[in-house]
Amino acid sequence: MVGLIALALQRAVFARHPIHDVKLQFVLALVAAAGVGGGAERGAVAGFALGLMYDLAGNTPLGLTALAYGLGGIVAGYLHAFTPDPQWWLAAIFATMGSAVGELCIPVANAITGESGWITGDILFAVPLVAVTSGLVCPLLLPTARWMTGSKRKKWKALSL
Amino acid sequence: MFSSLSRRRIVLLVVLTCLLLITLDKQGNPIIDRARRAFDILLSPADTATRAIVLPVERAWYGVSNYHDLERENAVLRDQIEHMKGSDIEARSAVLQYRELLKLDQLPSKWSYNVVTAEVVGASPGNYEQTVEIGVGSESGVEVGMPVTDGAGLIGRITRVYPSRSIVLLITDPTFAISARVLSTDDQVSTGDATTGATSTTVAPVPVVDPTVTDPLGPVAQATTTLPPVVRETGMLEGRGPRLTLVLRFTDNNSALTSLKVGAVVDTSGGTSSLAPQGIPIGIITAITRQSGNSTTLVEVRPNADLRRLNFVAVVLFKPNQQAIGG
Repeated sequence: MVGLIALALQRAVFARHPIHDVKLQFVLALVAAAGVGGGAERGAVAGFALGLMYDLAGNTPLGLTALAYGLGGIVAGYLHAFTPDPQWWLAAIFATMGSAVGELCIPVANAITGESGWITGDILFAVPLVAVTSGLVCPLLLPTARWMTGSKRKKWKALSL
Repeated sequence: MFSSLSRRRIVLLVVLTCLLLITLDKQGNPIIDRARRAFDILLSPADTATRAIVLPVERAWYGVSNYHDLERENAVLRDQIEHMKGSDIEARSAVLQYRELLKLDQLPSKWSYNVVTAEVVGASPGNYEQTVEIGVGSESGVEVGMPVTDGAGLIGRITRVYPSRSIVLLITDPTFAISARVLSTDDQVSTGDATTGATSTTVAPVPVVDPTVTDPLGPVAQATTTLPPVVRETGMLEGRGPRLTLVLRFTDNNSALTSLKVGAVVDTSGGTSSLAPQGIPIGIITAITRQSGNSTTLVEVRPNADLRRLNFVAVVLFKPNQQAIGG
């Protein structure tokens, strides 16, 4: 349900209002938030599921965006390898990295599968812009992403001696 | 679920599933097509609800923020319309003559096919694919492969069809290719004999019936005058991405260089293996460059249609053969 609403928002709002010809990726931001909030495994599954929905609704080959977003979710989820309860800015940094990987993987995967003309100079501008905006909105999307993936916020526990 | 599976296994499972799905979809799978249709039904209430909320807000915002710009644009467009009225009458007359000639020769053209008008309801959600979504689908007779035009010319072709919407691959997409021809008159031809060594070049003198001369024996015996020859070059037009011009490739580059000039008109060439009927305008040649180091000629074509401001389009109900769609 969250995925459907996110996809509808992407199509109705963000796809229609590009910034300097770059369409911000709300669904990818949600995937990155899911990774940051729930770890690499939950990020991968959320990325796969939301990417699959993206592919089903669009013109991309089924599985391509799922693969890219899945990898993005994994990268964002690696935050949990460092700390279970990250600061908001650390979450934003990992979400930015995850989004960058997710956005970059789409043309790369397309090129690998034999489609020419996908890797252009536009990537140099589109990927950073998408990644930074995803990182910025990630702290806002974290509660929704946690609820979506069924993960709870982990806290540091004092060692009892 | 997450505790029972290790991280590596989940990652591997996701990657392998994706690769399997990509392979299946690339080869064309009816189950995936059915899944897409089913998902379209599932998504459509969320889509409709979101648009119902977003569109009034968006329109109100535009009304407030762009009012003066719209007024100015309106005035400029009215001025343009006045200028175009004159040339429109002339063009209509030429088109009518052309249609008559096609009818006489029993040649198929874009006027032989019905069209379905559609509104552009959405753009591609991603940054890389060049597509738009239109509000007509299989219920209106739309099929995969059909060409789509707007008032200015060809904008793309249908790649996916759902019951009430379709996805149009724009001509600027790198995966788009269509056979096209260049029409230029003698005064546009730069140098050389266009017929020499050119496999794809034809030079045809165009007889024009003089309407001032009346002959009781009929049109055959009417006096004719010969206009400068029209040069037709046929090649393959390909997209290169957003904001970039289209590129026209020829089987014989030498013929292209000798017989083409910047400003020549490019339209669809038609034919049994083409994606579109003959005569749909595409654009004009903006540059012809010979690349250093090899004999390749790069012919750049600027599309007539403004692909960033599409509102209403027309789907030409022309069914290309399966080989053309696959290619």
